[in-house]
Amino acid sequence: MIIQRRQLTATIPTFAMGDIGFLLLIFFVILARVQNDSHIQWVPAQVEEVEPAAAARASVAIDSGMKIYLDGRETSADSLAGQLETILGDAPEGSRRVHLKVHKDTPAERFEPVIEAISEAGGDLTHILETKESER
Amino acid sequence: MKLKRGKLLVDPPGSASSDIAFILIIFFLVCASVQPEDGQDQRLPRAEPQADERKQSKNLEVSITANSIVLNGAPLDEASFPARLAEELAERKREEERVVVLKSAPKTPYTRWIAVSQVIDQAGGLLTLEVAEEKSIQVR
Repeated sequence: MIIQRRQLTATIPTFAMGDIGFLLLIFFVILARVQNDSHIQWVPAQVEEVEPAAAARASVAIDSGMKIYLDGRETSADSLAGQLETILGDAPEGSRRVHLKVHKDTPAERFEPVIEAISEAGGDLTHILETKESER
Repeated sequence: MKLKRGKLLVDPPGSASSDIAFILIIFFLVCASVQPEDGQDQRLPRAEPQADERKQSKNLEVSITANSIVLNGAPLDEASFPARLAEELAERKREEERVVVLKSAPKTPYTRWIAVSQVIDQAGGLLTLEVAEEKSIQVR
């Protein structure tokens, strides 16, 4: 007598699919939203009044070591205007915003050429600052 | 005789705790990455290589160093600068008359520069920078 072997059916467990999908969604949200200049070391200047800054097309930063960065990549003041023109392209006025993050102790001889380059590229400048904490 | 009922030890299921910790890490990462930034918009005229000197002479000029402010050649203290500037700008009604040329000494820190530029903005002035150009001349 031949006893037939029972056939095993292999099914992929789909129980955790919802969780996996959710985690993937969060992963891509982080990738999309994470700031690519978060590694730059700088301390913002403090002023009396600030407003929430609108989203920008490009971000220019000067760190505590006086190095200039465009969207997280090191660059020079001389080439900044050209690079910004490429990024901003033919974008209409109002959507040509450029965030400028300057370390609080940076001297004018370093940050003024950067402001000039942003202006030359036709960028709408927004200084990223902090509200001055009131003394207690 | 009373028999004591054996107490059951109930362990909370720990199999999902690693998943919970992972999701919490991601949650805080997202919170940190989407933190909104604050700032100040600044309207600057498009940079031109050569400014019109005749027009420039009519503009208000503010010169700053790390510890001094000079408005149209008159040294001012920090406290009187906003009022004096507002006074000067009050007489100027047209937009092109409200241009304020800001000249900074090379070592002026950004904190000071931004504070002065904010005062100019609040007074209704149109900020313009005068940046010294570097030229190298070869001497034989």
